[in-house]
Amino acid sequence: RGPAGRGMAAAAFERRVLRRAAEHHYLRVRLELPDGGARPNAAQFKQLVVTALRELHGEVGAALPVDVLTYEEKTLSAILRVISSGFVKLWSALTLLGFYQNRRCAFRVLQTSPFLLALCGNSRELVLD
Amino acid sequence: HPALSRRYVLCEVVSEDPRCRQCIEDRALGLAVRDAIARVHGDYGLACCSISFTGAGETGGPGGAGSLQVRSAVRVSLVVKYLNAYTGTVLLRCRKDSYRLLCSALPFVRSLESRAQRYPCFLNTLHVGGTIRTCQKFLIQYNTTQLLRLLQNCTNEEERQCIQKSLLSCSLTEEQSQSGDEEEDDGTE
Repeated sequence: RGPAGRGMAAAAFERRVLRRAAEHHYLRVRLELPDGGARPNAAQFKQLVVTALRELHGEVGAALPVDVLTYEEKTLSAILRVISSGFVKLWSALTLLGFYQNRRCAFRVLQTSPFLLALCGNSRELVLD
Repeated sequence: HPALSRRYVLCEVVSEDPRCRQCIEDRALGLAVRDAIARVHGDYGLACCSISFTGAGETGGPGGAGSLQVRSAVRVSLVVKYLNAYTGTVLLRCRKDSYRLLCSALPFVRSLESRAQRYPCFLNTLHVGGTIRTCQKFLIQYNTTQLLRLLQNCTNEEERQCIQKSLLSCSLTEEQSQSGDEEEDDGTE
């Protein structure tokens, strides 16, 4: 907020702080399948995410609006979008998923952000020479 | 004592099949509610019901080698505290942190099963209270209004006389252990 204005002129600036105003959260995830078997396609990947939600959080979890924005079959990495109120449920469900078609698997969450643009750069993968 | 806060959910079992009455027992109902929570809220919801009040979560999983457990989970947080098979009233207890899970899963209880018989029914939530006493006070008031409504909906004179007689004859007596509302049973059946 600008200066309290006790006898001063009109405020020169105004600052607004919005907490938790983002509607969606974005996650960049990678699925690890250590055995070199067939890779899931985009639809199977989404089915896997929904299955993970259903196991941990039931029908309510499976009904969360989750979208797979991009998916690369070669690297098994994807960008997911979820409504902010379901962010904790999604991340916990991905963490606790252990099997894909009876094969051992694991989800690695690389980046998360309420803004999609923030996912384009990852300072952890920065190589400093 | 803030650590032991509980919520008591009062509901009634409504069924079109009169044989469903015999299914209303604590084990069958407890299993049906737990099953509904497991379907709607998954493993997380089931764990919220199985956690005990002491804080250390006791899971009913298979014990270590050689330990034989007679009952799977001795102390759980979701408990059926009171049942009345005649009126179909059920009082459930749960932790304050997870009572919303329970309340949202109650509409998904669609049938009760006992002794290999399954009857369709549904649960109507009447009241959520913090203590058994508040739920009892609500139940007394609710039962009196229900009796009056039954009296108005009577179809023939004989039922009307029956209900009037039972309404006028019931009273709260000090020497009995149960309070007056449990003595009233429906004149119509």
